[in-house]
Amino acid sequence: MSKTIHLTLKIWRQNGPGDKGRFETHPAKNISTDMSFLEMLDVVNEQLTLEDKEPIAFEHDCREGICGTCGTMVNGRAHGQLKGTTLCQLHMRHFADGDTLVIEPFRARAYPVIKDLVVDRSALDRVIQAGGYISVNTGNAPEANTLPVPQDRAERAMDAAACIGCGACVASCPNASAMLFVSAKVSQLALLPHGRPEAARRALSMVRAMDACGFGNCSNHRECEKTCPKEISIVNIARLNREYFKAAFISQEN
Amino acid sequence: MNWFSAALGSSVGKKLMMALTGLAFIGFLAAHLAGNLTIYGGKAAFNGYAEKLQSLGPLLHLFRAGLITFALVHVLTGLYLFWLNRRARPVGYRMHATAGGRTLSSRTMPYTGIVILVFVIFHLFHFTFVDKTATTVFDMVAAAFNQPAYVLLYAALMIVVGLHVRHGFWSAFQTLGVNHPKVMPTVSAASIAAGAVVALGFGLLPLVIALRY
Amino acid sequence: MRLDAKIPAGPLPQKWDRHRFELKLVNPANKRKYDIIVVGTGLAGASASASLAELGYNVKTFCIQDSPRRAHSIAAQGGINAAKNYPNDGDSIWRLFYDTVKGGDFRAREANVYRLAQVSNWIIDQCVAQGVPFAREYGGLLANRSFGGAQLSRTFYARGQTGQQLLLGAYSALMRQVASGKVRMFPRREMLDLVVINGQARGIVARNLVSGEIERHEGHAVVLCTGGYGNVYYLSTNAKACNVTATFRAYKRGACFGNPCFTQIHPTCIPVHGTYQSKLTLMSESLRNDGRVWVPKTPGDQRKPSQIPEAERDYFLERKYPSFGNLVPRDVASRNAKEQCDQGKGVGDTGLAVFLDFSDAIKRDGRAVIEKKYGNLFQMYEKITGEDPYATPMMIYPAVHYTMGGLWVDYNLMSTIDGLYVLGEANFSDHGANRLGASALMQGLADGYFVIPYTIGGYLAGSHFAEVKNDHSAFTDSVKEVQERVTKLLAVRGRRTVDDFHRQLGLVMWDHCGMARTNEGLTTARARIQELRAEFWQNVRVPGTGRDFNQSLEKAGRVADFMEFAELLILDALARQESCGGHFNDAYQTEENEARRDDANFCHAAAWEFTGEGKDPVLHKEPLVFENVHLTQRSYK
Repeated sequence: MSKTIHLTLKIWRQNGPGDKGRFETHPAKNISTDMSFLEMLDVVNEQLTLEDKEPIAFEHDCREGICGTCGTMVNGRAHGQLKGTTLCQLHMRHFADGDTLVIEPFRARAYPVIKDLVVDRSALDRVIQAGGYISVNTGNAPEANTLPVPQDRAERAMDAAACIGCGACVASCPNASAMLFVSAKVSQLALLPHGRPEAARRALSMVRAMDACGFGNCSNHRECEKTCPKEISIVNIARLNREYFKAAFISQEN
Repeated sequence: MNWFSAALGSSVGKKLMMALTGLAFIGFLAAHLAGNLTIYGGKAAFNGYAEKLQSLGPLLHLFRAGLITFALVHVLTGLYLFWLNRRARPVGYRMHATAGGRTLSSRTMPYTGIVILVFVIFHLFHFTFVDKTATTVFDMVAAAFNQPAYVLLYAALMIVVGLHVRHGFWSAFQTLGVNHPKVMPTVSAASIAAGAVVALGFGLLPLVIALRY
Repeated sequence: MRLDAKIPAGPLPQKWDRHRFELKLVNPANKRKYDIIVVGTGLAGASASASLAELGYNVKTFCIQDSPRRAHSIAAQGGINAAKNYPNDGDSIWRLFYDTVKGGDFRAREANVYRLAQVSNWIIDQCVAQGVPFAREYGGLLANRSFGGAQLSRTFYARGQTGQQLLLGAYSALMRQVASGKVRMFPRREMLDLVVINGQARGIVARNLVSGEIERHEGHAVVLCTGGYGNVYYLSTNAKACNVTATFRAYKRGACFGNPCFTQIHPTCIPVHGTYQSKLTLMSESLRNDGRVWVPKTPGDQRKPSQIPEAERDYFLERKYPSFGNLVPRDVASRNAKEQCDQGKGVGDTGLAVFLDFSDAIKRDGRAVIEKKYGNLFQMYEKITGEDPYATPMMIYPAVHYTMGGLWVDYNLMSTIDGLYVLGEANFSDHGANRLGASALMQGLADGYFVIPYTIGGYLAGSHFAEVKNDHSAFTDSVKEVQERVTKLLAVRGRRTVDDFHRQLGLVMWDHCGMARTNEGLTTARARIQELRAEFWQNVRVPGTGRDFNQSLEKAGRVADFMEFAELLILDALARQESCGGHFNDAYQTEENEARRDDANFCHAAAWEFTGEGKDPVLHKEPLVFENVHLTQRSYK
């Protein structure tokens, strides 16, 4: 049942990319345990606005865990402590009265801070631009059932395709590596027969783009899969590696 | 060879080099451990093993050259990765908790690696690059481990090596792409076992020597 | 103004072919001379941008989010319809067409809907080729399911994330064109005005949401794919950034707004918890296949559901609609839930919920079967409410979900402004007064992949374009207006937050212009909204400045537009003195409480023309002519 708790927030504030930034402490009073984490921040922001202070900038959109817009570090964990959950689906019943929460933006060289908790994750789009697609123009497609896809392969492709692009894998990785994100897309398309023709070029090109964006290197810490709100497995990273080796050492692609 | 250096120069390529050289060192450790275990056979057996090694001649040199090359690749790539990975997050977190992925072993890899490097150099000067005309390997080792400080040093270092192997072993398989639901549980278990075998197998030897000889 | 829907002549199945033949073509070498602006990157926007770029046009694409992949199409769960007839159960293009027209309660244009059904099959081909991991049968072929009460299995799906997978397919096609240089992507931009020069849409004015800069972008045509306006109700299943601003600004520049009162309310959403609530979460209506809807028979019964004996429960849908039971259409289920709550029989802390009970299904099929069917939905419910639906009945309540209304467009998807095209949920075209499940995705992709690439060429090839640079006076004037509005919003410095106003607006709309409407309520609501709007400009507090990333300012602009738009919605509801689909006026119902259409007087699409600030808009009517289907009364008894 619903009850009310009081929290203390230690929140990262930064006016813009040029600002050095600092932690600020704000009380979050009378927080219903039925609220989502973002609704708790809404309440704090309403209060700040009425006190003539600048509300805390944070990103959010669908608030149902699928758009991948939201996400901050809560007490050192991307999207907070709950497994398989985006920040918007984390509810305040998972916190206790009197808790202090440290809230920081996702941090990586590839994610420059825009304001407060808002970071620029466009690097993820740049990686997709490098090959996270199948080159088929509208109208080119053959009849949908022309190529059968074994059910379990389709399911595994879907497991990988479930990525919401929130970038928490990078944020939680001690090395700020984007391997889980990249491997999810490479895997989805490598598992489907439709994606095979471009598989080699895709693997090489997406890894190159990932490196160019300034992400770190994978050390197999597995923080990414433990943090991923869609619980995407590092089996995909192993598959990316295989695809990459095949492409680099066996295929004709450069 | 442009494609080759490009492939190895990428983040995945660098990991490949770490994995391959790492696995080679695990192989080396296994051989080294097997050799060392002859010490349980007594002085003659141990010295016999050492002489047998020496008698390999050019093969031994080739082997050493290989090890040195691998070491250079492993160490330099590892240090470069360490630097790159630190650079990938210029502003750190005030709080960065684990979600259950990191292990003591995985998070200390660069540090245990550096410690092992220092130790290996010391170890080589301690036992390998020494004038053995007046003594045998066995006597040298026995003499060393009659000093408690060396026993402690070596035993402690072997725990460090064990830690490094514990993450390095399964991690190499993962990097090589060998992650399959049917295989991975075995690899993971083997990784823990490998770490333990290295730590105990090597680590107990100085103790045994100190107590027996 | 005369509305010309430009419906091609000839028999229904041949209209589209014939029209494509009659449309002028742009020489391949000339395509690169045309710049096309696309606003929004949902299914419609992403697919249109990619397809137009593939043809060779220069495309500039804008989205409000940080990445085009986040548009709210991503949240669609159920699936996408197509007339493939893979299950061999008697489906056809004609049947999909007929079901869509009937489901829309005969308030959509036949020709548009038929075309939608025709291209539906190509959409599936296209998406599969892009790598969308649709569900498969063991043999590797595509699986279908029946959805939303349809009597056929024609819905393709990718788990409960079909929208996500289709959007990511379109997004990947878009990213490919960005990489090829044919699309220039402008994320974190909000369109704040449409620039019309010599009667042609020639550009947009947009705010860079990071720097605050007001930017000008010129082009030869503008394609709006900016989604629906469900957030006028504040609480809806829409994403927080969904808004009416782009289409409303276009309306103010001369585009007629079509059927704004056609809004869809989805019956199975997680109920409201408190005033802080920021959005409502939809749960797939497949839950009604096994769940039984009930309320206690006695109003105000506060007992736990487990303590209410069978005899004191009212399974009202089963009682009132014995043949369809819990599977009545969305609007019927929604209205009945509201009716029960209005009688004081609602359950939960707020009294605004009904039970959706799975205990009989669990008893009958076993927990494992239910878990396999609905496990992820039950998990989602528990995550949000903290209650275990295996142990205690779910509580559900209807929520605003989709808006069938939108900018009026002709058969080419062009609005009443030359060169302004409107695609997807943002237009009014295909769903009439009510949208069937799994049809929104179909329409967004049909418009973007298979309609706009042809029709825009016809316009470009057949029009004369004066050279327009972005220092044209129309741009300068528009930028000035936009800047003044920003300054005005920041200058009020009142005592109420933007969300506070938005919440109040939403309540007024929900209470008086929601599931069931009355003339009296609508009139009251109109007056309340006028008052609220006046207060907004006196008393809103927008902190910060216009020169940087300022989310409060973004919201304020959107809410200001919603406040004006809400009145248009109400006017439309008042003008339509009948009930049809999502528009239910209490005065017009059958004895069975079904919507009673008035085909003699209201068989038309309403298109509202802006005539100036402070003046009432003018209503134009496009008569709907049904030559191929017979208008019937729905019945679900």
